[in-house]
Amino acid sequence: MVFNACMKHKLVRRSVREFAEAELGPIAHEIDREARFPKEVVEKMRALNFFGLQVPRKYGGAEADSISYAITIEEISRVSGALGLCVTVHNSVGVYPILKFGTREQIERFVPGLATGGHIGAFCITEANAGSDAGGVETSAVPDGDSYVINGTKIFVTNGGVCTTPLVFAITDPDRPGRGASVFIVEKGTPGFTVGEIEDLCGMRANPVSSLFFEDCRVPRENLLGEAGDGLKIGFDALDTGRIGIGAQAVGIAQAAYEASVKYSKERQQFHKPISSFQSVQNTLADMATEIDAARLLVYRACDAKDGGKAFGKEAAMAKLYASTVATRVTGGAVGIHGGYGYSREYDVERYFRDAKVTEIYEGTSDIQRMVISRAVISEPI
Amino acid sequence: MGEGKRSIWVFGDYRNYFQNRVTLQLISRASDLAKAIDATVCVTVFGHGVDEWVWEYTCHGARKIYVCDHEKLKFYSNDIYLHLMEKLVREHRPEILLVGATAFGREFAPRLAKRLKTGLTADCIGLDIGEDGLLVQTAPAFGGNMLTKIVTPVKRPQMATVRPGTFQEIPHDNDAVAEIVRVPLPDDLPEDRVTLVSSVRQPERVQKLEDAAVVVCGGRGMGSRKKFRNLYELARILGGEVGATRPVVYSKWADEEALVGQADKHISPRVLISFGISGAIQHTAGIRDAGFIIAVNKNPHATMMKMADVAIVADANQVCTALIKELRKRIRS
Amino acid sequence: MREAPPESGRNHDALEAALVKMIVCMKQVPMVSELPWDRKTGLLKREAAEGMMNPACKSALEAALRIKEGHGGHITAITMGPPMAAEILHEALSMGADRCLLVSDPRMAGADTMATSAVLARAIETFCSDFDLVLCGCHTSDSETAQVGPQMGEELGISSIASVDDLKLTGRRLRVERVSDHFLETLEMDLPGLVTVTTAHYTPRYIPMAGLQDAFREPSILTAGAHDLGMDEAELGLEGSPTRILEVFSSTAGKQNVVLAGTPRKIVEELFERFDDAIGSVIRKDLKAVK
Repeated sequence: MVFNACMKHKLVRRSVREFAEAELGPIAHEIDREARFPKEVVEKMRALNFFGLQVPRKYGGAEADSISYAITIEEISRVSGALGLCVTVHNSVGVYPILKFGTREQIERFVPGLATGGHIGAFCITEANAGSDAGGVETSAVPDGDSYVINGTKIFVTNGGVCTTPLVFAITDPDRPGRGASVFIVEKGTPGFTVGEIEDLCGMRANPVSSLFFEDCRVPRENLLGEAGDGLKIGFDALDTGRIGIGAQAVGIAQAAYEASVKYSKERQQFHKPISSFQSVQNTLADMATEIDAARLLVYRACDAKDGGKAFGKEAAMAKLYASTVATRVTGGAVGIHGGYGYSREYDVERYFRDAKVTEIYEGTSDIQRMVISRAVISEPI
Repeated sequence: MGEGKRSIWVFGDYRNYFQNRVTLQLISRASDLAKAIDATVCVTVFGHGVDEWVWEYTCHGARKIYVCDHEKLKFYSNDIYLHLMEKLVREHRPEILLVGATAFGREFAPRLAKRLKTGLTADCIGLDIGEDGLLVQTAPAFGGNMLTKIVTPVKRPQMATVRPGTFQEIPHDNDAVAEIVRVPLPDDLPEDRVTLVSSVRQPERVQKLEDAAVVVCGGRGMGSRKKFRNLYELARILGGEVGATRPVVYSKWADEEALVGQADKHISPRVLISFGISGAIQHTAGIRDAGFIIAVNKNPHATMMKMADVAIVADANQVCTALIKELRKRIRS
Repeated sequence: MREAPPESGRNHDALEAALVKMIVCMKQVPMVSELPWDRKTGLLKREAAEGMMNPACKSALEAALRIKEGHGGHITAITMGPPMAAEILHEALSMGADRCLLVSDPRMAGADTMATSAVLARAIETFCSDFDLVLCGCHTSDSETAQVGPQMGEELGISSIASVDDLKLTGRRLRVERVSDHFLETLEMDLPGLVTVTTAHYTPRYIPMAGLQDAFREPSILTAGAHDLGMDEAELGLEGSPTRILEVFSSTAGKQNVVLAGTPRKIVEELFERFDDAIGSVIRKDLKAVK
C-alpha cells in the first residue's frame, strides 16, 4: 500500500489544488455567504472529469483509482467544503450505484450525461421520520403496470436543488420491513416530482440542500435500479463508498484550517513574539498535524481495500468516523488560534468550523459509524 | 589585437538608448576591469549610419571601436550580426566579451557563445577580476533569492550578459579619443532566415508598480492613513510608485493595486525604501528582486532591517517627512 | 519513441506536411515558494524541494497543444534530468503530449547551458530528427539564463526566435509576435525552426483527470542515456561545461547592512552623504548637497 508517495498521486494533488485555488478560491467565501451554487465553476470542474471521476473512459469518465478520487475530494474541500460535497455526493452515491447495480441500458442512458453532460446526481434516503434508521422510510413505490407510482417526501437531500437524476430510496413491499425497499432513478421533469426550498443550514451553504417531493410520481419500471427489494443492499453499498468521500472531505477541510493556523500563528505577535513560539499553540499545531495525517491514512486505506476488491465497509466507516471527528476538532482549534479573527465572518476559519460539523452527521452519524465498526469487529474471528 | 595587448569587448547595443544605457554602463565597468588585467576597452558598432554611436561610445570611455556600417545592417538581426561578430571575435580574440542583457542581447549572446564554444553567464549583476585574473561573474538565481559566482576558466572570450542599471556610466567627455577601425561588410554574409514583418515602438506605458525603478513601500508602522499619504509625496519626488503590505491594504490606507507580496505583486525596483514594515515572508517574497534597499523601522531586529543595505532605526513617519524635506532641497539646487 | 530513429531527414509529402511534428523541451524546477533554504549556509536544500514543470516550459507545451488542435500535429516532450524528472513528462502526457523522452544520465549532472543544449540537440537528432518545430520555455525559474533554447537552435543549425508571446502557423511558415526592447515585433520564419515561448499569452490548461489517469496507465516515455546519444564524457556535465560555479550564496548575504540611527534629520543627511550615488543614479538627479 503506497500512499501519496507515488508520482501519480502527487500530480493529482497538485493539479486539483492548482485548479481549486485558482478557480474556487476567489469565490469560496462569497458562495458561502450568499448560499449560492456556482454553476459556472461546476461546469469547469466537469470539463476536468470531476463529475465522472471513477466512471470508465468509454462513458466519458476519468476511470481514476480510489486514492486519486479521495485526493480530488480533499483538494476541492480544502478550498470549498460545499463544492467538495457536491462532487463527492454526485460521484459516490449519485453515479456509482448506477455503474455498480445498473443494467447496461441504464448505464448507457444515464452515466454519460452525469459524467459529461450537465447532469448532477443525488441520493435520498432521509425523511422526517427516517435517517439513521432506514427502516423508518415511509416513501412508497407502488407497482402499477409498467411503472411504479412514488409518493413521499425526502429531506436534507444534498445537491437536491440541482440534481437531475436523484436515486430515490422507497418502500416497494411494505410487508417486508427493511427488505422491501428499492431504489429508483427519478428523472427531473417527471410529473409529480418537485423540489422544495433550499435549506438554510449552518454550513455547506453553497450546496443546494433541499427537500424533494414525490406526489403520484410515475416512474417507468426501467428506472428501477437492481431488483425490487435491493434497496438496502444498494443503499449500504452506496454509503460505504460515500463515506470514503466524506472522510476525504473532512480531511480537506481540516487541512485548510490547519494551514491557516500555522500561517497565522507565525504572523500573529503577542507579548512581542509570534504566537507560534508559545508551547500551548505548538501543542495544538502538533496534534492537528498528527490527527490529520492519521485521518488521511485511514481514508487511503479504505480506498486501497476498495480498489483491491476487498470488503471495505469497516475501513470506510473508521475513516469517516475519525476524519469527521478530527475535522471538527481541528477547525475548532483553528478558531481558537485565530482568536477574535477566527470568530469573524471576514475570515475563512469560521466557515471551516461550520462546514466541518456536518461531516459528523451526514452519510451516517458518528454513532452509526461506531455501530458499523463494532458489528464488524465483533463478528471478526479473533 | 591578436598582436600583444589584451582586450575587453563590449557589444554596442544602441536600439533603446533612451530607456537603456547599458552599453555605456558596460564600457565603464570594462574600463575598471581593463585596469586590473591591463587590457584595452573595445566596442563594436553594427548598423547603418551609426557614427553618432561611435562618437557617444568614444566620449563614454571606449578606446577602440570596430564599426561596420552598411545598409544591410540596418535592422537588428541575429543571423547577420552573429556572423559578423563571430568573425571579428575569432580574428581579434578578446579576453572578455560583455553584452547588455537587453532582449536582443539575451538572444544574441547565447547563440554567439555557442558558435564560439565558450561559456556565458546570464544577466550578471556583478563583474570583478579574481585573484587568478579570471572574470568573476555574479548572477542571480531563483528569482533573486540566491546569487551565484561563476567563472569561465579555460575557454575564451569569457562572456557575460549584464543587467541594465548594474553599473554607473562614465560621464561624457568631449575630449576623449578612440581608435576607429572600419570593418568592411563580409562577402559571405548569410541571408537572414527570419523576416521582420513589422516592428513598432511601443508607446510609453503608464508606469506601473512592477516596472518602477523606485518604490516606496509602507507598512502598519506608518501609523495612520493620513501619515501613510506622505509616502505618495515622497514617491512623487523620486519619480517612483507606492507599494503597501497586506495589513495596510486591509486597513484601507492604500488601494489593493499597491499590494506587494508573495501572492500579489512582485516588484523589482532598483531602489526600494521600506517604511514601518517588519518583513513577513508573505511580503518579502514580493521584493526579492529589489536592488538597493533602505528600511526604516523602530525595531532594529525586524527581518526587513536585516535584508536592507541601509537599516534606519527610527520612526518611519518622521524619516519620511525628513526625506521629503531634504530631497526637495537637494533636487531644487 | 518505440520506433527506431528515422533513417533520413525530412520527407514532405502532403500528408506529412499536414501533421506538424513538434518537440517541446522542458525542465523540472524546484517550486520556489516552497524552497527550503538553509539560512546559515545560504544554500538551497534542493533535495527537499518539490519539483514542478517550469512555468514557461508549460506555456511552450500549451502553444504546441494549440497548434496540434488547430492543424493536427504530434508532440514529443523531452527533458534532461534525474529519473524523478519523469514526473513532468507524465504531466506533459496528461496535458496532451503524444510521447516523451527522458534524457537521464548521472554523468550529465552539473551541466551548464552549453552542455545542456548540446545534449538536448543530440537527443532530438537521434530520436526525432524529422521534427518541424522545437518549442522551449523562454527561461527557467531556477537558473533564469534563457540560454538553452537559442543555443539548441545553433546546435541544430536551424533558425530560431526567442521569447515569443504568440505564434501562428500557416503551412510551413511560422509568424510570431513578441515584445523586444520596447518594440512590438512581428517576425516570420520557415520550418523547421525553434522558438522559445513566454508565459504572456499561453496560459496552460488545467490538467484533466482523465488525461492524468491515462498518462499513468500507458506512459509513452522512453529513457535515454549518454550512450544512446553517442556522447562521451568530455561533452557531458561538468566536463562539457565551459563555466564553473565558484559559490552560491543568499542574495542578502552580500548586503552591507549599514545601520543608521539618531534624529531623523541627521539620519537623512548621513544617508545622502554616503549613498547619494546609489539613489541619484536611479532617479537621474544629482543629490550632492549644495555647497
